[in-house]
Amino acid sequence: MIERLGAHFFRHEYGRLVAMLACRVGVRHVELIEDAVQSALMAAVETWPKATLPENPSAWLFSVAKNHLVGELRRRARHERLIALHDLGDANATVPGPRAGLDGDVRDELLRMLFACCDDAIPPQSQLVLALKTLCGFDVREIAERLFTTEANVYKRLARARTRLCELPFDADELSSEQLAGRLPAVQSILYLLFTEGYLSSHAHEAIRRELCDEAKRLAEILAGHPLGATPETFALLALMHLHAARIAARLDGAGGLLLLQEQDRSQWDQREIQLGMSWLARSAQGEVFSRYHAEAGIAAEHCLAPSFEQTRWERVVECYALLERLAPSALHTLNRAVAIAEWRGPAEGLALLEGLEPPSWLAGSFMWAAVLADLHRRCGNVEIALRYRESALHSAPSTAVRGALQRRLDQRAD
Amino acid sequence: MPKYLCLQRSLPGAAPDSARPSPAQLQAMYAKFNEWREQFQKNLTDMGGRLGAGRLVTSSPVPDGPLVDVKELVGGYMIVSATDIEEAIRVAQACPGLVRPGSGVEVIEIFAPA
Repeated sequence: MIERLGAHFFRHEYGRLVAMLACRVGVRHVELIEDAVQSALMAAVETWPKATLPENPSAWLFSVAKNHLVGELRRRARHERLIALHDLGDANATVPGPRAGLDGDVRDELLRMLFACCDDAIPPQSQLVLALKTLCGFDVREIAERLFTTEANVYKRLARARTRLCELPFDADELSSEQLAGRLPAVQSILYLLFTEGYLSSHAHEAIRRELCDEAKRLAEILAGHPLGATPETFALLALMHLHAARIAARLDGAGGLLLLQEQDRSQWDQREIQLGMSWLARSAQGEVFSRYHAEAGIAAEHCLAPSFEQTRWERVVECYALLERLAPSALHTLNRAVAIAEWRGPAEGLALLEGLEPPSWLAGSFMWAAVLADLHRRCGNVEIALRYRESALHSAPSTAVRGALQRRLDQRAD
Repeated sequence: MPKYLCLQRSLPGAAPDSARPSPAQLQAMYAKFNEWREQFQKNLTDMGGRLGAGRLVTSSPVPDGPLVDVKELVGGYMIVSATDIEEAIRVAQACPGLVRPGSGVEVIEIFAPA
């Protein structure tokens, strides 16, 4: 019976129902909507095992959640007399059940909710938390665990987002096409953030890391399937997600340690993901725009297509990092370009690029900066400087897995 | 086979578990509940349900109000068929979510005329 429902049925139903109800009664009621959806899911767990599973579980959930929500809105209206009567009447009359086979409709509603989350009055970190809560169906504890932050912090971010949604005027739910187009970059950036939170996470469970990546891919694919979001940038974003996802499993050794790119068994890379990534990349190569997602997908594609670490087309990687620096200036991209140059032209040229560069404090204090300098100096034979950076890199490594990989790399002999 | 009434009650002194399960946890509960139901199908005579507030009816008028001490609040009931009370207890104990911190199950034999 459970098999029929799919592995993430409850979580995805949560997102679907929140989005559908938000479209019908307004996103400003998001808290009541979430309560209603929670009640419907709990009712399902309580009643479904006792009888047979409803023929259309999604429709069953929708109608239970809808009734709960309408009842609650009525109760509030009676008490507070705040909600205009016609609004309620409408809510009741125009809350139709999901029509069979109209998957496209649900996708529209998920997208509308995603765009609602990306209100520019909401800080990006709050947007991300709001999307994880309402569209992905994670609760506060699960979000805190996935974003490596405290539950109190998640609550705070969520409250900020909800406050903003509650302030929205009654007619704010219908975003104009200009508004929607204007929010597209924010939507893409939140999906990118969602993906990297999973991909770069040092969480001990691969399943948990993968989950965020899968959610990002799922929502990005819905975005790419809608005329509103079907732009070359979205395609490039999907390309980079798939090309990174292809290598998730191979980044780990059997014991949970991290493997460096040159240590990875390339036969473990997921060829299906690579193919998907390459076809999205091909679709992204249209129009005038070359976005940061294009540059990042290009880098990922070079790695995925290289038969070995040594045979990587480093000049292409360098070129893409240079483009990325121009599109999204960050000392981190310069650092990455230095690494690629070192592979292409030797460590001295890599070092030369970093010379005189004043990294921002967040980067200067991170293990990445120290590790790259330790590695390049070591390979240039500057033993003492290399040792100093090595200490600092190992000291600031965020996890034992990272520390282990650094040690293997930095304790090699000079080139 | 004898029948047993199983009543879920809050344990005195324990705060009721107010944390709401997340959708992922609900899915896990649903899977476990189905497993349990399949395993003990022959014992589950009536899957029962949740119990709400009650009123006491007597021959003399009594004041309205909660009649059961909050500490003993009953959550739900079901009827289990088992050869003896030990088996009934095993069925109830295996039911996901029934026996957890803050709540327990009272298993009571129902005598039926032979």
